[in-house]
Amino acid sequence: MTSYEVMAKGMSSQALIAFVLWSVSFAFASDHTWVLKESTLTYHVSHPLHQTDGVSHAARGKGMCHEGQCDFLIAVPVKSFDSGDTNRDLHMIQVTRGAEFPMVTVRTRLPEAVSGSSSIKADLEIQFAGQTAHFQQVPFEVTTLGNNKTISGTIPATLADFKIDPPSLLTMPVKNDIPIKVELTWSPQ
Amino acid sequence: MGAMPSKILFAAVTILILTSHLLCAQDSTATLSGTVTDSLGKALPNVQVSVKNVATGHISETQSDADGHYRVENLPAGEYELSTSAEGVGSATAKVVMAAGAPLILTLTLGQGQPPAGSLQNGPAPGTTQPSLEDLGFSKAETQANAQQQALLDRRTRLLKIHQRMGLITTIPMIASVVTSFGAGGKNESSSSRDLHVALGAVTGDLYGITAFYAFRAPRIKGTQKKGPIRFHEAMAWIHGPGMIMTPILGAIAFSQKNNGEKVHGIAQAHAPVAIVTAGAFGAALLAVSVKF
Repeated sequence: MTSYEVMAKGMSSQALIAFVLWSVSFAFASDHTWVLKESTLTYHVSHPLHQTDGVSHAARGKGMCHEGQCDFLIAVPVKSFDSGDTNRDLHMIQVTRGAEFPMVTVRTRLPEAVSGSSSIKADLEIQFAGQTAHFQQVPFEVTTLGNNKTISGTIPATLADFKIDPPSLLTMPVKNDIPIKVELTWSPQ
Repeated sequence: MGAMPSKILFAAVTILILTSHLLCAQDSTATLSGTVTDSLGKALPNVQVSVKNVATGHISETQSDADGHYRVENLPAGEYELSTSAEGVGSATAKVVMAAGAPLILTLTLGQGQPPAGSLQNGPAPGTTQPSLEDLGFSKAETQANAQQQALLDRRTRLLKIHQRMGLITTIPMIASVVTSFGAGGKNESSSSRDLHVALGAVTGDLYGITAFYAFRAPRIKGTQKKGPIRFHEAMAWIHGPGMIMTPILGAIAFSQKNNGEKVHGIAQAHAPVAIVTAGAFGAALLAVSVKF
């Protein structure tokens, strides 16, 4: 074996080890992203004569992970919620000032380590109707299917959180509570 | 001898690789800077700016210079709350997330709340590493405020609220008209019952007209496809609308016939059935948008 052959053999195994080390190093240091694949957001409104649910599947979201922390942003157009009645939906857009503030945004930061858990508690910052409200430690269930993770739970929102005057029907106002059911399926990018 | 350079090379490459991200991460702090202005955009000198690390509670303070510029260096990555105020001008607060090695420039506008979030409604603070609405692929048309549309919606709601209230009020004389009709027609010869019925019918007609006026005046919102109970509500108007025109005309003929001592005859006989169908359609329209079946 010539000195060149020895050198080449040594180099190839060393290059392999170096590549593995580089990969490990990269895995810990790099950023990665989660993308919202499917979503169902449902708000519930209670009125003495009505129980109404408004549903949207138009949310988009992204989670950017950096140094063990993932910042998530989920946004959904206010006008995308469908309660089954055009008049009610237009009224909802009006009372929530949906033309002035057309997007609902939800932000949260989670440690990357929780991606393996079956339940998480998240602190949420929600911007809606020109107001920002914070919700502490909202519990969510996490189910894993392949690479996808589905997060489901209910955000205990109220109209007062966003300074929205309760709309009324037949002079009776709706209840202050507007729980928002969330089901979000995330996929790594 | 031949293996020596490769070993050195391997060691050098390994060290370089293992330390490369550490070298990158060495700059674990960032600089926050910007300008303090009033609501007209005029730079404000000598204004105290406080920057609080949300996680640790540590507060860094600085003062804007003669040109209104402020600068806080060596901020560890994390979430920060900024606050500033100047007597007679106002105050400003903002939340930012600093990423290691990523300087952030933020204008603090006194006299307002949180500074505008980029060019987008509800958008994130500019310059952070968090995802933004642009990252999500929403178009500008979807995320931009439309004050004109909001004004249109406000006007629509205001007029439809009056429409709703007037509709409810109209049901009172309408029901009373139906009730008094039993004493106004048939073999009953009492003119006072008939007059009361006519008066209530007239009030109903007037109130109905006002109710309809506010429904017509409410602006239509372009691009909305009607669905749900509102369609039934509007369909009923095609029945009670003409009915509310026909009922008083037929009633006037019947009233005249009765006053002449005649038995109600001819087309005037349709007054009661038309009135009942009209009242029924009106009630159904009201219930359709009030009660979920």
